[in-house]
Amino acid sequence: MTTCEKCRSFYPIPKDADDYAEGKGDCVCENKDAKGKWWDSKPVMGEMAADNCSCFTKKLAN
Amino acid sequence: MPITERTKRLKARCRWKHTSAGEFVDESIHAGIERARYITESHKQTVGEPNVLRRAKGLANILNKMTILIQEDELIVGDHVERPNFVPLYPEISYFVTLDFIKSPYGPAEKEEAMEICKYWEPYTLQRKGESYFTPEELERAYNFCTIEAPAFVTGFNSVVPPYESVLEDGLLKRIDMIQAKIDEAFAELQKDPWNAPERLSLIDKIDNWRAMIIVNKAVIAWARRHGRLARIIAENFEAEPARKKELMEISDICQRMPAEPAKGLRDGMQSKWFTYLVCHGLERYASGYAQKEDKLLYPYYKVSVDEKSFQPMTREEAQELVECERFKVSEHGSCKDRGHREAFPGSNDLFILTVGGKNRDGSDGCNDMTDVILDAAVSTMTPEPSIVFRWHPKGRMETKARVFECVKAGLGFPSIKHEDVNYAQMLKWGATPEQARDWCLVLCMSPGLCGRRATQKVRTEGGGSHFTGKCFEIALYDGFDASFSNIQQGPHTGNAEEFETFEQLWEAVRKQNEYAISMTIRNKDVTRILEQRYLQIPFVSSIDDGCVEVGKDATEYVEIPNPWHNIILNIIAGDSLVAIKKLIFDEKKYTMKELLTALKANWQGYEDMRQEFWNAPKWGNDDDYADEIITKYYDMLADVYNRVTTYSGASPMPLGESVGHYFGVGAKVGATPNGRLHGEAADDGGCSPYMGCDQKGPTAVLMSVSKINSRRFKGMLLNQRLSADLMRSEKGLDTWLDYMDTWYDLDIDHVQFNVASTKELKAAQAEPEKYPDLIVRIAGFSARFVNLSTFVQDTIIARTEQQFAVNL
Repeated sequence: MTTCEKCRSFYPIPKDADDYAEGKGDCVCENKDAKGKWWDSKPVMGEMAADNCSCFTKKLAN
Repeated sequence: MPITERTKRLKARCRWKHTSAGEFVDESIHAGIERARYITESHKQTVGEPNVLRRAKGLANILNKMTILIQEDELIVGDHVERPNFVPLYPEISYFVTLDFIKSPYGPAEKEEAMEICKYWEPYTLQRKGESYFTPEELERAYNFCTIEAPAFVTGFNSVVPPYESVLEDGLLKRIDMIQAKIDEAFAELQKDPWNAPERLSLIDKIDNWRAMIIVNKAVIAWARRHGRLARIIAENFEAEPARKKELMEISDICQRMPAEPAKGLRDGMQSKWFTYLVCHGLERYASGYAQKEDKLLYPYYKVSVDEKSFQPMTREEAQELVECERFKVSEHGSCKDRGHREAFPGSNDLFILTVGGKNRDGSDGCNDMTDVILDAAVSTMTPEPSIVFRWHPKGRMETKARVFECVKAGLGFPSIKHEDVNYAQMLKWGATPEQARDWCLVLCMSPGLCGRRATQKVRTEGGGSHFTGKCFEIALYDGFDASFSNIQQGPHTGNAEEFETFEQLWEAVRKQNEYAISMTIRNKDVTRILEQRYLQIPFVSSIDDGCVEVGKDATEYVEIPNPWHNIILNIIAGDSLVAIKKLIFDEKKYTMKELLTALKANWQGYEDMRQEFWNAPKWGNDDDYADEIITKYYDMLADVYNRVTTYSGASPMPLGESVGHYFGVGAKVGATPNGRLHGEAADDGGCSPYMGCDQKGPTAVLMSVSKINSRRFKGMLLNQRLSADLMRSEKGLDTWLDYMDTWYDLDIDHVQFNVASTKELKAAQAEPEKYPDLIVRIAGFSARFVNLSTFVQDTIIARTEQQFAVNL
């Protein structure tokens, strides 16, 4: 199963952050419309299923 | 033109949220679902908890889970919705407004979820709770929005003056410590032996309020820091350009510290203020406005960054760029207002008015270099928002007044000008100390209120709302029946005007209609106030007010210094009509009341000669003693009517003459009037502006008429004037205008604001709107992009007299 933590857009929240939780991360995506570009961030749990996510891009292995 | 390439780009891609005739001009504007989703989720999870804690947890849930965003080029970051072209929903306030949005073309994409949310909230909304205290007949009258504005519990329209100073000076971490100390004190008090219930049980509610304050402060800090994290992620993973990478890392640092810590430089101050604004005006609850004394608030940080360059060093030009960025953030800030208020503010996003100028607490001139940067940025960006009000006194520094003139000359329609001493005296009247009374700003477009760390106006139910005296006048002609719009008994029975034998009988009928209307509308407001305290608490706003923290009360409840007022609108169509009636019917006996009412019911059709006689009767704005005596008595009568009523705060509201766009929206709901006006035509704009085209004796004559109103009896009195564009833009413009302003000031007139646009230019813009994207006009209380207005509204601006001065060009 594809999960959020395997996505390139998933950024684990640092332990010293106010909103830290084990396995939680920021899902950061670049967006664009006719007016311009922006980046958004949604809180997600790494174990969430990402099979149906249109933004999913597999993280490259280090 | 914006002064940097960045701000030029920001302007070019600005996502305006202007409306026209109640609809969004940009079809890509939609309501977002997230705020509604997360407040609903929390509400379901917190059943049984004290409501203030439910409100706090609701806000915390929104802030923890909402999508945040940073747009390219931004220096000030943060939004109150999940996409830059969205507006948020407030399902907890008005069932009608939420449903209207969902069913409209700009409802959320998640329509099914939105409908479920709307249905879930229906029994809990302020609307359904408020309605239960009124009869169906009373609700019908109020919902017609013709003698009075619909109640706040159904419109959801609101305003607030956030105590920005305490955020910028303290930082939220210190606020949390202060509030925790209050809880600790309360616990110690509760534990004292022997137990004393009457003395100590009140601490229970206070503890809940303080706990709620801490919950929301922690959530705001975490939410702001999410932006810091996002900026860093963008810098490290997305942004290739080194200069922008550096900027993003600076933004990251700022958002990590703001608003958690005190601001240290101008970038800090701007960002801390912006985050506070988003929470107070868009996330915790909807509130219109941008109330702050911005030059005073930011000048300490300007000095650090621009003058001393000791923290966040920048040039004056960089400071102006920052203010330009702020103007574009405001220009993109959308709101989910009820349809009636969307119609009232065409060509703009909402009401955003900041205040500058005036005097400092010690009586010295309040103008400073930050004032000048704010004004320069207004001219360079040419956006309608935010509007600016300038507090005028004779000793204000000339270099700043010259900048005020540059804005006026450019056609921005602002700054509007408020008389420093008239408004200072009013703050004293309400109980401010002499020093405190110098810290005032406009709450929305016209009403002065305190600003600072405490005692500011927190809700519109304290002061605000509309009462349409012109409509009350009309129904007084028909025994309280409204035949021209709602077709119901809209007011009390006050007699058949056809049978009135004296002017005094008509006067009494008009008075009684206004008495009924003001009693009803203040009752609507105060009932809403009680419901706000039970169900719509605002713990974040409360937490940043020193007074609320001290006493442990929510800002919806606590009134440290009252500020009650209410708008009187459509006044001059009533005033001019009373003049025409007295002259032609009761003094000269040329016509009878029956003949007049027959002609009015026919909308003057077939009675054109008669209409011309009534149209040519003496009119307000010409320094005509006959007209002015009757009309100033009319204003005094309204002030007396207001004095009969006592508001929640234990005081009588002050009437405030102004109209926003109601002069055309609600004006069109008034039938034919004895001043010679046809049914459906717009009414008078402002609070005391002469009716369109009726001021024929020059600008000084207008001031002379207006000066006869006792400005000290009113909360404010909006005067719109249109000045000759050729003269204002000539080399004699500044001197002419300064002379005019001296006269205005000496006559003790509360307010004035200006349109500077020629009829030729306006008509050209009507014909080819694409060539005039930056043409801005002053409506009344706000400015608007001319080409976004309907033709009906555009024509009312063109019809305003273009005042000429006896000056050779």
